[in-house]
Amino acid sequence: MVSYPTRMGDGHPISMTRDQLMADIIAGSEHAADRGDIPTLDEGECDHLLGLFMNPARVVGVQPGNEIVLSHDIGTLHLTGDQANSGVGIPLSRVQAIQVHERAFAADTMELAHTDYSWKPVKPIIAMEQQELENALLSTIVPLFYGAMPNLGLYYAPDGPLGNPSDLLPKGKIKEALEAQELAVEQAVRDMVYCCGKIAEVGGDGINLDTTGAAGDADFKAALLAIEELKSKHPSTAIQVGMAGEFVLGLHGSLEYNGVRLAGLYPHQQVKLVEQAGGDIFGPVVNTDTGKSMAWNLSRAVTFVKACSEAAAIPIHVNLGMGVGGAPLFETPPIDSVSRATVAMVEIARVDGL
Amino acid sequence: MSDLEILEAAKAAVIAADEDAATKVARQAVAQGLDALKVINEGFTPGMREVGDLFERGTMFLPEVILASEAMVAAVGVLEESLPDKKKDGHVASIVLGTIEGDVHDIGKGILATLMRVYGFQVHDLGRDVPLTSFLEKVKQTGAGLVGSSALMTTTMVGQKALEKMLKDAGVRDQVKTMVGGAVVTQYWADRIGADAYAENAQEAVAKALELVGHDR
Repeated sequence: MVSYPTRMGDGHPISMTRDQLMADIIAGSEHAADRGDIPTLDEGECDHLLGLFMNPARVVGVQPGNEIVLSHDIGTLHLTGDQANSGVGIPLSRVQAIQVHERAFAADTMELAHTDYSWKPVKPIIAMEQQELENALLSTIVPLFYGAMPNLGLYYAPDGPLGNPSDLLPKGKIKEALEAQELAVEQAVRDMVYCCGKIAEVGGDGINLDTTGAAGDADFKAALLAIEELKSKHPSTAIQVGMAGEFVLGLHGSLEYNGVRLAGLYPHQQVKLVEQAGGDIFGPVVNTDTGKSMAWNLSRAVTFVKACSEAAAIPIHVNLGMGVGGAPLFETPPIDSVSRATVAMVEIARVDGL
Repeated sequence: MSDLEILEAAKAAVIAADEDAATKVARQAVAQGLDALKVINEGFTPGMREVGDLFERGTMFLPEVILASEAMVAAVGVLEESLPDKKKDGHVASIVLGTIEGDVHDIGKGILATLMRVYGFQVHDLGRDVPLTSFLEKVKQTGAGLVGSSALMTTTMVGQKALEKMLKDAGVRDQVKTMVGGAVVTQYWADRIGADAYAENAQEAVAKALELVGHDR
């Protein structure tokens, strides 16, 4: 029986028959539909996915006219960071690395970011970041974002002044854990609004609140409140929101935004709140299960993201890379997998960007 | 209330995370002379199992899971009084848990610590950024049968391999079962370093831990 080369969610090469591929495509889509209470992919979409996996080419691409724009998170670290920072360790300045992205890689947009990649540590060095951004803005044409994570984890002990919910909850100190998260929201909003305001002052084209929700529902709430305030103060600065996972963790469990409980929201529900807050671009995340095939993972990811695209009134730039968006969890995900995930996200999930 | 109604009420009280209702049902069961173990095994435990499922599906959240657990513990406390041979130390097993040195990511590990307590494990949570020697010392000190390590980064997951070697060199590897997890960790990695189990998420980790110590969920 003919089998086709593909991968597991951890990147390992495997072979699957046509029937096995289709069975996993259907199962992955049904899993997403069950979890998110959303429709499964239809027969034609499953066939489209199957065609991608049976395509003998190592690299696949979208049809002409289906090209989309790219936005970047984690700034220039892909080039300047060493392996410990998921980069290739080329000694460039950040401005040079932005120029390389623009002029050599044809990046549609680019992002300046600090190595710490969280708003709290950026606050004391924001003047230096303004200067660096200004230098980059003066020597490039592509829209430039400044990005960092809300990262509420930095407001909890031992990095911050508040009790750590991860320590308090297992001890049964629920009231203290909830209060710490509520206070962290206030402090994070203040830091984000301060830093992002400074970015807007020097003419930054946009802000990227990346890996939002990493510390749970309080993290997401802080981002939404910060967006609201920033949009009222700097309406012309674009705001992109990238998520941390497919599902908002309920470490608090009771936090709401505009009457909607944040814990447990999936991408198609998250995007509506980002819109209400004033966000301009939304980056959904769907996590890869390393124990399942790529056919299962990609079908599941596409099912979630398609529902998100259909619900969204703002552009969707899906997160696609190491362990997200159907790509294997691998430091540098293999191009055969990434290109297939890309085509599926564009042609089935109808994303506006990556 | 009939026996069946009591079992249903016990289950519902745990799912509702209602400690008052749970202890009230337990007292009613004692008053009616029901077998306490039956009420635990067929009432409260299925309730807790459903809480775990709701958590996994994202419709119940960590603080509620803890409250549900507290409701069950309180109710079981009432029922234990009526047991002829009280079994006070009801721990399923003991586990040493921590995030590998150099890694400060502990949200997932914290969720696991909570769930393991909920399922009756005695958890020695060493926290985050834990030196490998601390895992070993805690194992020796407590005699725990399980060691769980978490790593979110490719740069710290190598610590899990070093931990396996350290446990082996110290002559305690055969006395413990090791479990690994964390965002970048995979079954392949677990197999490669010789860990006994890998879990994709906290709920799966609990199931695997129960399997390792020979308990049904």
